[in-house]
Amino acid sequence: MALIRFSPRFSPLDALLTLQRELDRTFESPALGFDLGVSGRGVFPPTNVFSDKDGYIVRMEVPGVAPEALTIESHGRTLTISGKRETSVPEGASFHRHERNSGEFSRSLQLSSDLDLTKAEATCKHGMLTVRLPKKEEAKPRQIEIKAA
Amino acid sequence: MPDQELTTHKKQELTGNEHTRPGRTYVPDVDIYETPDSLWLRADMPGVDEQSIEINVNDGVLSIEGQVEVKDYENLAPVYTEYNIGNYSRRFTLADSIDAERISARMKHGVLELELPKAEKAKPRRIAISAN
Repeated sequence: MALIRFSPRFSPLDALLTLQRELDRTFESPALGFDLGVSGRGVFPPTNVFSDKDGYIVRMEVPGVAPEALTIESHGRTLTISGKRETSVPEGASFHRHERNSGEFSRSLQLSSDLDLTKAEATCKHGMLTVRLPKKEEAKPRQIEIKAA
Repeated sequence: MPDQELTTHKKQELTGNEHTRPGRTYVPDVDIYETPDSLWLRADMPGVDEQSIEINVNDGVLSIEGQVEVKDYENLAPVYTEYNIGNYSRRFTLADSIDAERISARMKHGVLELELPKAEKAKPRRIAISAN
Protein backbone atom coordinates (compact mmCIF):
# COMPACT_ATOMS: atom_id res chain seq x y z
CA MET A 1 0.00 0.00 0.00
CA ALA A 2 1.36 3.35 -0.92
CA LEU A 3 1.45 5.89 1.83
CA ILE A 4 1.23 9.51 0.87
CA ARG A 5 2.89 11.65 3.44
CA PHE A 6 1.39 15.05 3.92
CA SER A 7 4.32 17.32 3.40
CA PRO A 8 4.31 20.98 4.39
CA ARG A 9 6.28 21.60 1.21
CA PHE A 10 3.03 21.49 -0.70
CA SER A 11 1.22 23.92 1.51
CA PRO A 12 2.35 27.52 1.34
CA LEU A 13 -0.19 28.32 4.04
CA ASP A 14 1.48 25.99 6.52
CA ALA A 15 4.76 27.61 5.57
CA LEU A 16 3.26 31.00 6.34
CA LEU A 17 1.98 29.85 9.73
CA THR A 18 5.35 28.39 10.62
CA LEU A 19 7.07 31.57 9.53
CA GLN A 20 4.75 33.76 11.59
CA ARG A 21 5.38 31.64 14.68
CA GLU A 22 9.12 31.76 14.08
CA LEU A 23 9.03 35.53 13.73
CA ASP A 24 7.12 35.84 16.98
CA ARG A 25 9.65 33.70 18.74
CA THR A 26 12.55 35.95 17.79
CA PHE A 27 10.61 39.12 18.50
CA GLU A 28 12.27 41.06 21.30
CA SER A 29 15.24 38.77 21.19
CA PRO A 30 18.66 40.36 20.77
CA ALA A 31 20.14 40.29 17.33
CA LEU A 32 22.99 37.84 17.03
CA GLY A 33 26.03 39.54 15.63
CA PHE A 34 24.00 42.64 14.83
CA ASP A 35 23.97 45.88 16.65
CA LEU A 36 21.15 48.16 15.63
CA GLY A 37 22.58 51.02 17.65
CA VAL A 38 20.47 54.08 18.21
CA SER A 39 17.98 53.33 15.48
CA GLY A 40 15.98 50.63 17.16
CA ARG A 41 12.41 49.54 16.83
CA GLY A 42 9.84 52.01 15.66
CA VAL A 43 12.15 53.62 13.15
CA PHE A 44 11.32 53.42 9.46
CA PRO A 45 11.83 51.10 7.70
CA PRO A 46 10.84 48.09 9.80
CA THR A 47 13.65 45.58 9.58
CA ASN A 48 13.95 41.82 9.84
CA VAL A 49 17.23 39.94 9.77
CA PHE A 50 17.44 36.33 8.66
CA SER A 51 20.30 33.92 8.35
CA ASP A 52 21.03 31.01 6.10
CA LYS A 53 24.11 28.92 5.52
CA ASP A 54 25.77 31.55 3.33
CA GLY A 55 25.25 34.59 5.51
CA TYR A 56 22.64 37.11 6.56
CA ILE A 57 19.66 38.57 4.80
CA VAL A 58 18.33 41.97 5.86
CA ARG A 59 14.78 42.63 4.76
CA MET A 60 13.03 45.96 5.09
CA GLU A 61 9.50 47.05 4.23
CA VAL A 62 9.80 50.12 2.04
CA PRO A 63 6.45 50.44 0.25
CA GLY A 64 6.29 53.38 -2.11
CA VAL A 65 10.05 53.86 -2.25
CA ALA A 66 11.50 53.56 -5.72
CA PRO A 67 14.75 51.54 -5.91
CA GLU A 68 16.43 54.68 -7.30
CA ALA A 69 15.50 56.58 -4.13
CA LEU A 70 17.46 54.18 -1.91
CA THR A 71 21.11 54.42 -0.99
CA ILE A 72 22.98 51.56 0.62
CA GLU A 73 26.48 52.25 1.88
CA SER A 74 29.00 50.41 3.94
CA HIS A 75 31.72 52.00 6.03
CA GLY A 76 33.85 49.39 7.67
CA ARG A 77 31.39 47.21 9.52
CA THR A 78 28.51 49.68 9.36
CA LEU A 79 25.82 49.28 6.77
CA THR A 80 23.66 52.34 6.22
CA ILE A 81 20.41 52.31 4.31
CA SER A 82 18.89 55.68 3.56
CA GLY A 83 16.26 57.05 1.28
CA LYS A 84 13.20 59.11 0.87
CA ARG A 85 9.57 58.14 0.86
CA GLU A 86 7.16 60.43 -0.85
CA THR A 87 3.44 60.30 -0.52
CA SER A 88 2.67 63.46 -2.42
CA VAL A 89 -0.78 64.13 -3.81
CA PRO A 90 -1.87 66.47 -6.60
CA GLU A 91 -2.17 70.10 -5.68
CA GLY A 92 -5.54 71.05 -4.31
CA ALA A 93 -6.42 67.51 -3.21
CA SER A 94 -7.91 67.14 0.24
CA PHE A 95 -7.17 64.25 2.57
CA HIS A 96 -9.86 62.05 4.01
CA ARG A 97 -7.38 59.69 5.62
CA HIS A 98 -3.67 60.14 6.05
CA GLU A 99 -1.99 57.13 7.62
CA ARG A 100 1.09 56.83 5.45
CA ASN A 101 4.14 58.75 6.61
CA SER A 102 6.55 60.41 4.28
CA GLY A 103 10.01 61.81 4.66
CA GLU A 104 13.65 60.90 4.68
CA PHE A 105 15.02 57.96 6.55
CA SER A 106 18.36 56.49 7.45
CA ARG A 107 19.16 53.34 9.36
CA SER A 108 22.49 51.82 10.28
CA LEU A 109 23.39 48.30 11.23
CA GLN A 110 26.63 47.14 12.82
CA LEU A 111 27.67 43.92 11.20
CA SER A 112 29.78 41.12 12.52
CA SER A 113 33.31 40.97 11.16
CA ASP A 114 32.89 37.60 9.47
CA LEU A 115 30.79 39.11 6.67
CA ASP A 116 32.22 40.04 3.30
CA LEU A 117 30.63 43.38 2.46
CA THR A 118 32.36 43.57 -0.91
CA LYS A 119 30.04 40.74 -1.99
CA ALA A 120 26.87 42.27 -0.57
CA GLU A 121 23.93 42.41 -2.98
CA ALA A 122 20.65 44.26 -2.78
CA THR A 123 17.33 43.91 -4.55
CA CYS A 124 14.15 45.91 -4.20
CA LYS A 125 10.91 44.37 -5.37
CA HIS A 126 7.27 45.17 -4.58
CA GLY A 127 8.31 47.51 -1.81
CA MET A 128 10.59 45.01 -0.09
CA LEU A 129 14.29 45.69 0.13
CA THR A 130 16.51 42.64 0.49
CA VAL A 131 20.20 43.00 1.27
CA ARG A 132 22.18 39.80 1.13
CA LEU A 133 25.36 39.82 3.22
CA PRO A 134 27.49 36.76 2.52
CA LYS A 135 29.92 35.38 5.06
CA LYS A 136 33.60 35.45 4.28
CA GLU A 137 34.74 32.22 2.67
CA GLU A 138 36.68 31.15 5.75
CA ALA A 139 33.63 31.74 7.97
CA LYS A 140 31.30 29.48 5.97
CA PRO A 141 30.50 26.10 7.41
CA ARG A 142 32.58 23.40 5.86
CA GLN A 143 32.15 19.70 5.76
CA ILE A 144 35.28 17.80 6.68
CA GLU A 145 35.85 14.66 4.80
CA ILE A 146 36.75 11.52 6.68
CA LYS A 147 39.63 9.71 5.13
CA ALA A 148 39.64 5.98 5.10
CA ALA A 149 42.33 4.65 7.38
CA MET B 1 20.83 63.38 8.27
CA PRO B 2 17.10 63.82 8.09
CA ASP B 3 15.72 66.56 10.33
CA GLN B 4 12.96 64.43 11.62
CA GLU B 5 13.22 60.72 11.82
CA LEU B 6 10.58 58.88 9.88
CA THR B 7 8.83 56.58 12.26
CA THR B 8 6.81 53.48 11.71
CA HIS B 9 4.04 52.00 13.75
CA LYS B 10 3.50 48.38 14.54
CA LYS B 11 1.51 46.55 11.92
CA GLN B 12 -2.05 46.30 13.03
CA GLU B 13 -3.47 42.83 12.95
CA LEU B 14 -6.94 42.40 11.59
CA THR B 15 -9.09 40.91 14.31
CA GLY B 16 -12.76 40.49 14.97
CA ASN B 17 -13.81 38.49 11.98
CA GLU B 18 -12.86 35.06 10.77
CA HIS B 19 -11.07 34.53 7.51
CA THR B 20 -11.35 31.83 4.98
CA ARG B 21 -7.57 31.75 4.75
CA PRO B 22 -5.45 30.61 7.69
CA GLY B 23 -2.62 32.74 8.97
CA ARG B 24 -2.49 36.30 10.13
CA THR B 25 -3.91 39.22 8.29
CA TYR B 26 -2.79 42.79 8.69
CA VAL B 27 -4.52 46.07 8.00
CA PRO B 28 -2.62 48.09 5.39
CA ASP B 29 -2.00 51.79 6.04
CA VAL B 30 -3.96 53.89 3.61
CA ASP B 31 -4.17 57.42 2.34
CA ILE B 32 -7.46 58.56 0.88
CA TYR B 33 -7.64 61.88 -0.88
CA GLU B 34 -10.07 63.66 -3.07
CA THR B 35 -9.62 65.53 -6.32
CA PRO B 36 -12.46 67.24 -8.25
CA ASP B 37 -13.17 64.11 -10.32
CA SER B 38 -12.22 61.20 -8.09
CA LEU B 39 -11.39 59.75 -4.73
CA TRP B 40 -7.96 58.13 -4.62
CA LEU B 41 -6.88 55.38 -2.28
CA ARG B 42 -3.29 54.32 -1.70
CA ALA B 43 -2.49 51.31 0.45
CA ASP B 44 0.91 50.11 1.63
CA MET B 45 1.20 46.41 0.90
CA PRO B 46 4.90 45.57 0.82
CA GLY B 47 5.72 42.17 -0.62
CA VAL B 48 2.50 41.88 -2.63
CA ASP B 49 2.71 41.78 -6.42
CA GLU B 50 -0.03 42.77 -8.85
CA GLN B 51 -1.03 39.14 -9.41
CA SER B 52 -1.67 38.45 -5.74
CA ILE B 53 -4.16 41.17 -5.13
CA GLU B 54 -7.91 40.96 -5.18
CA ILE B 55 -10.22 43.95 -5.29
CA ASN B 56 -13.96 43.53 -5.04
CA VAL B 57 -16.93 45.82 -4.83
CA ASN B 58 -19.94 44.13 -3.37
CA ASP B 59 -23.05 45.86 -2.16
CA GLY B 60 -21.32 49.19 -1.80
CA VAL B 61 -18.37 47.71 0.08
CA LEU B 62 -14.92 47.87 -1.43
CA SER B 63 -12.60 45.13 -0.22
CA ILE B 64 -8.91 44.84 -0.97
CA GLU B 65 -6.93 41.72 -0.20
CA GLY B 66 -3.30 41.00 -0.88
CA GLN B 67 -1.34 37.78 -0.48
CA VAL B 68 2.34 37.80 0.34
CA GLU B 69 4.84 35.48 -1.26
CA VAL B 70 6.12 32.96 1.27
CA LYS B 71 8.58 31.36 -1.11
CA ASP B 72 11.17 34.10 -0.48
CA TYR B 73 11.45 33.00 3.14
CA GLU B 74 12.23 29.36 2.55
CA ASN B 75 15.26 28.05 4.41
CA LEU B 76 15.77 31.31 6.28
CA ALA B 77 16.06 31.45 10.05
CA PRO B 78 14.97 34.68 11.71
CA VAL B 79 17.71 36.35 13.74
CA TYR B 80 16.13 39.69 14.59
CA THR B 81 12.60 40.79 13.82
CA GLU B 82 10.61 43.97 13.99
CA TYR B 83 7.61 43.05 11.92
CA ASN B 84 5.60 39.95 11.21
CA ILE B 85 4.56 38.81 7.77
CA GLY B 86 1.03 38.18 6.71
CA ASN B 87 -1.60 38.89 4.15
CA TYR B 88 -3.35 42.23 3.94
CA SER B 89 -7.04 42.97 4.05
CA ARG B 90 -9.19 46.05 4.45
CA ARG B 91 -12.73 47.09 3.63
CA PHE B 92 -14.33 50.43 2.95
CA THR B 93 -17.93 51.41 2.55
CA LEU B 94 -18.39 53.43 -0.60
CA ALA B 95 -20.62 56.42 -0.84
CA ASP B 96 -23.29 56.45 -3.54
CA SER B 97 -21.40 59.20 -5.24
CA ILE B 98 -18.72 56.75 -6.46
CA ASP B 99 -19.11 55.21 -9.88
CA ALA B 100 -18.17 51.62 -8.98
CA GLU B 101 -18.12 50.58 -12.66
CA ARG B 102 -15.18 52.81 -13.42
CA ILE B 103 -12.87 52.01 -10.50
CA SER B 104 -9.33 51.37 -11.71
CA ALA B 105 -6.26 50.05 -9.90
CA ARG B 106 -2.52 49.86 -10.28
CA MET B 107 0.34 48.60 -8.17
CA LYS B 108 3.77 50.16 -7.85
CA HIS B 109 6.61 49.46 -5.42
CA GLY B 110 4.27 47.62 -3.08
CA VAL B 111 1.66 50.38 -3.01
CA LEU B 112 -1.81 49.80 -4.38
CA GLU B 113 -3.41 52.82 -5.94
CA LEU B 114 -7.13 52.89 -6.64
CA GLU B 115 -8.98 55.56 -8.51
CA LEU B 116 -12.62 55.80 -7.49
CA PRO B 117 -14.24 58.15 -9.99
CA LYS B 118 -17.14 60.22 -8.79
CA ALA B 119 -20.46 59.68 -10.48
CA GLU B 120 -21.42 62.46 -12.86
CA LYS B 121 -24.16 63.73 -10.60
CA ALA B 122 -21.77 64.01 -7.65
CA LYS B 123 -19.17 66.13 -9.38
CA PRO B 124 -18.94 69.71 -8.24
CA ARG B 125 -20.59 72.05 -10.65
CA ARG B 126 -20.22 75.72 -10.95
CA ILE B 127 -23.43 77.49 -11.62
CA ALA B 128 -23.04 80.52 -13.74
CA ILE B 129 -25.12 83.50 -12.88
CA SER B 130 -26.33 85.32 -15.88
CA ALA B 131 -26.54 89.05 -15.71
CA ASN B 132 -30.02 90.49 -15.07
